[in-house]
Amino acid sequence: MATTSPAPPGTHATSAHEHPSTGTYVKVAVILCVVTALEFAVIYIRALSPIVVPLLLVLSAGKFALVVLFYMHLRYESRAVSAIFAGSLTIAIGIAVALLTLTGAFLVFGR
Amino acid sequence: MSATRDAALFREAHVAAHAPSATGVWSWITTVDHKRIGILYGVSAVVFLLIGGIEAVLIRLQLAVPNNALVSASTYNALFTMHGTTMIFLAVMPLNSALFNYMVPLMIGARDVAFPRLNALSYWIFLAGGLFLNSSFLVGAPPDGGWFGYTSLTLRQFSPGLNIDFWMLSLQILGASSVLASVNFIVTILDMRAPGMTLMRMPLFVWMTLVVQFLIVLAFPAVTVGLIFLMFDRFFGTHFYDVAAGGDLILWQHLFWIFGHPEVYILILPAFGIVSEVLPTFARKPLFGAPVMIYSGVLIGFFGFGVWAHHMFAAGMGPVADAAFSISTMLIAIPTGVKIFNWLATLWGGSIRFTTAFHFAAGLIAMFTIGGLSGIMHSSPPVDLQQTDSYFVVAHLHYVLIGGTLSGLLAGTFYWWPKMTGRLLDERLGRLAFWTFALGFNLAFFPQHYLGALGMPRRIYTYGADTGWGLWNFVSTVGALGIALSILLVLVNAVRSLRAAPNAPGDPWDGRTLEWRTTSPPPPHDFDTIPPVYGRDTFWREKRGDRYGRKPTPIPPPVEPHGIHLPAPSHWPVVVAVGVLIAAVGALSHVLLVIVGGVIVLAGAVAFALEHHRNPAHEHQVGELPVDRRKSAMWVFLGSECMFFGTIIGTYLAYRGRSVVGPYPHEILNIPVTTLSTFDLLMSSLLMVLALAAVQRGDHRQARLWLLGTVVFGLVFLGFQAFEFTTFVHEGLTLQQNVFGSTFFVLTGFHGGHVTLGVFWLFILWVLEMRGRLAPKDAIKVEIAGLYWHFVDIVWIVIFTVVYLIP
Repeated sequence: MATTSPAPPGTHATSAHEHPSTGTYVKVAVILCVVTALEFAVIYIRALSPIVVPLLLVLSAGKFALVVLFYMHLRYESRAVSAIFAGSLTIAIGIAVALLTLTGAFLVFGR
Repeated sequence: MSATRDAALFREAHVAAHAPSATGVWSWITTVDHKRIGILYGVSAVVFLLIGGIEAVLIRLQLAVPNNALVSASTYNALFTMHGTTMIFLAVMPLNSALFNYMVPLMIGARDVAFPRLNALSYWIFLAGGLFLNSSFLVGAPPDGGWFGYTSLTLRQFSPGLNIDFWMLSLQILGASSVLASVNFIVTILDMRAPGMTLMRMPLFVWMTLVVQFLIVLAFPAVTVGLIFLMFDRFFGTHFYDVAAGGDLILWQHLFWIFGHPEVYILILPAFGIVSEVLPTFARKPLFGAPVMIYSGVLIGFFGFGVWAHHMFAAGMGPVADAAFSISTMLIAIPTGVKIFNWLATLWGGSIRFTTAFHFAAGLIAMFTIGGLSGIMHSSPPVDLQQTDSYFVVAHLHYVLIGGTLSGLLAGTFYWWPKMTGRLLDERLGRLAFWTFALGFNLAFFPQHYLGALGMPRRIYTYGADTGWGLWNFVSTVGALGIALSILLVLVNAVRSLRAAPNAPGDPWDGRTLEWRTTSPPPPHDFDTIPPVYGRDTFWREKRGDRYGRKPTPIPPPVEPHGIHLPAPSHWPVVVAVGVLIAAVGALSHVLLVIVGGVIVLAGAVAFALEHHRNPAHEHQVGELPVDRRKSAMWVFLGSECMFFGTIIGTYLAYRGRSVVGPYPHEILNIPVTTLSTFDLLMSSLLMVLALAAVQRGDHRQARLWLLGTVVFGLVFLGFQAFEFTTFVHEGLTLQQNVFGSTFFVLTGFHGGHVTLGVFWLFILWVLEMRGRLAPKDAIKVEIAGLYWHFVDIVWIVIFTVVYLIP
């Protein structure tokens, strides 16, 4: 029976992992600044007003992802850590959207 | 702390591992041993259980006959409020914590939890919260707004005294304790399992503990936010629940039940875990379908976040919302049903020993099933509308929480008592307690289904003789006295056991899991060598082999190059908890006490953090996860923070455009200035990663420069915020002005509070660096502070967009 075979011993890896180079950090900072400037600019461009909300949300999500992936090093972390944060974030967003829907502020479906 | 003292601490810890346990009150106050903390939780919880039980008996005596005047209406309100709050937060949750603390490290083959001092801190904060809540009796202001605290009942206008203040502050304290403990247990379970203890080989109790910790981490922030809004409404005159100003009373119901329904699973899943350990042991069979049982537990936890509004069918959410939550509620019955059928299948064909623990475990299956079935009835909105606020609901919830949770806890108590005390309980007296409990419980609560169907509402303090409710109420009261008698029998059994019972062997039940592999009670270091893991039910396999009797090839214990390390005792957890208690008392008496308490908390926290800064035993904290434990803990905490800020931001958006008076956002928000402060905060994140890289390289000059730079940029951001707040106040926007002011200042204020804490943390690191006490091996400490700092940054990225930029 395979069930009686000894388990592989646990792997006690070290916590060391790759971090981005200083150059990458600076590039990310430049992108963050440019995107922030873009966010500031688009709210004054009347032609973009029909799409300004989704556009701002996409730009904001991009900045959010850059900081999490590169500055918080989630891109280099174990899958368990990524799953913990991504799972929590997903539930938080889901509950916030449900709350908006249920209070009538943002209707995903009609009441 | 000097290096000499650090080394001494390290040596002491090694000696302590092989020495008898320290004795005396101080050794208990400063203990960081998971087993002792488990006992502290257990003893405290039993005291609170008795207090909550006395409240329950008084409630039942009042209702025993019509037109009774044993207690007044206001006393009755306080009794049912304190009974519910005490039983949930001060009795059942800490009883679960007692078993988590004592058993989980033993069951996974660990020597302690991941953060022993944090564990002690969680306990002492819990005790502070419990004492604070019950001290309300001493000043004649016990909470009286129900354990659910519905607004507007709890607003200052309708509850002007201190009663609700005690309730809302103590719940926040207890929530903080729970979240800290949960972060600890998540990391413990994921990272500290013995080699070979894969996730799917973990005992079911450990699995259910893990699910519960995630539920706590993600569910408590919602009610914390709701309580913060309530606190601001009561203390500072904001308008979160002020309908006339555009607030929404239903918001409280949502925030409370977003927490409140997962809370049901926080209470019941540990009991499911206990039963899943007890039944296989006494049926002498493996748990039927163990992987499916694990998946079912995880699914229950996950679905638990999507069913909260079934508590609100009477609130008028509309047919689509009602239908959605009705379906999700029905769905959650599937994994729950799977568990019940798997328990029955475990018993099928087993060689059953009818011990007391088995009786209580089997009792859970029967009584929880009744409660589960009435729960499915509530999932139908038309049926629920008939049952809402009637005694039918009281019957349902007690079948789940007493028939389910308390039965499970009693099963666990009888099962693990020999392990915890080294003494056996009297089985005859135990079985007598079970039958008294089963009879009393069903007598107390089954008739309440009829009372509900007859139309008896909840929370009424008396009723007329012409209602026809007298007989079943009397029967119910007799049953409640039966439950009280059964608990008394359990306590008598416990006292007799501690005084004179025979010693228990290490494995009195012929157990299946690792806790039975060590002595009863276990030594301070739990195991002399880290136990081998041969699969699920590893100890059973080691003793009895597989189903064909083939024993596994022995695995040598892993080498522990530094010997056995146990953490040294610490008094800082209790100091911090005392600070919390003083601050809470100050919130209801004098602001000076709040300041004193806050200073004690802050100073205690810093001393706590630096206590082992130079202790070499604390340098490498890496186990099964390839991530430092402290970093894993920070990620879990940030997950909880996502829920916290997600809820506040959700509320801000829900309240957009609801202000009935100005100033309105477009009239007052200064987007160019805020864009500058956003640039500033983003650049502080760049400096933070540069500081980390410098510490990792051992480049002290650059580390000092970038750390200081991050602090300065953080202060500049706070300066921008102070400027903005001052300007707004001058222009007429205050916390009290309108709903926009309330939501804006609370959201950005809490973010600013996080920035302030981050600045303080980074400043401490900078001081350490200036004093040459930040070596490359300390980079993990900078990295953790950095994670917190970047999180503050990403929260601002969201706030900047949804508050300032989106029109």
